[in-house]
Amino acid sequence: MGATFLAFGAAVAAAGRGMGWALGASLLVYGMAGQLVLLQAGGVAPAALGATIANARFLPMALALAPWLGGGARRWLALPFIAITPWAAAMRVLPGLPAGERLPWFLGFGLASWVTAGLATAAGHAAAPLLSPVLLAALLFTNPLYFALLLAAELRLPAPRRAILAGVLAAPVALWLPPAWGLLGAGLLGGTLAFLLGLRRGGG
Amino acid sequence: MAEADLALLLAAAAMLLLRGLGLLVAGALRPDHPLVAWAAAVSQATLAAFVALAIAVPGGAVAGLPWPARLAGLLAGLLAHRLLGGRLLPALGLGTGVLLAVRWGLQ
Repeated sequence: MGATFLAFGAAVAAAGRGMGWALGASLLVYGMAGQLVLLQAGGVAPAALGATIANARFLPMALALAPWLGGGARRWLALPFIAITPWAAAMRVLPGLPAGERLPWFLGFGLASWVTAGLATAAGHAAAPLLSPVLLAALLFTNPLYFALLLAAELRLPAPRRAILAGVLAAPVALWLPPAWGLLGAGLLGGTLAFLLGLRRGGG
Repeated sequence: MAEADLALLLAAAAMLLLRGLGLLVAGALRPDHPLVAWAAAVSQATLAAFVALAIAVPGGAVAGLPWPARLAGLLAGLLAHRLLGGRLLPALGLGTGVLLAVRWGLQ
């Protein structure tokens, strides 16, 4: 996780944006797919909408996590920390903990991950001007590579496989649309087609 | 306020909404509800399109890396990920190392 936030900090610096923006994106958006779309897309609406769609998985993740956080108002403290790394760890660990220890565990793990993300972003932003153009490019390449690895691991299941393949096939559409809307358009087209194909095949 | 700052604030608000909505409707909306399934499909397709574009037609500094180096880095990372039982960090390191090696080999 730290490597991707380090690369994100460097990407923000390479795009000419400040440390404050980099930290804001890492700590307030705190979902790398959305952060990268936010950085890449131009314009207010396409960037915000594209980032939201890229991180739409937060909704089902929060849905799945909620029962493990208890029913009280204190579970809302977990809100900023619902992201891929804490969520994946929580879904593995929380079922084995006594009910009273689950929320404190998640808050501790979530806060540690969140602080690590911020520190790595700051380090990447600060280091970017010190790197040669080739090393900077290699560092920036780690983010698409990281997501390629995550997506490859999801290819085993039919529904994610359909969505991923449809997204790759729809990617050229992005080149025909206005740059700010390209990625959003490709994702909406590919994802909706994959969803409809799944409905025709009876889910799964 | 600059466009980039406004986009960041709107995106941050939308992230809180997504997370909050999930906590709020848990129990009322099944995880396999069609709306959730559609959102997951669009999210994965957007990410896949991002990866495809970032490797095939990248912008910025990555565009300076020749395409055979980008492709070799991707394939090496995927292969390492598979052979090393899904471990991310070694696969990332190997993919990036092959990217740099091929880039220097093409010089």
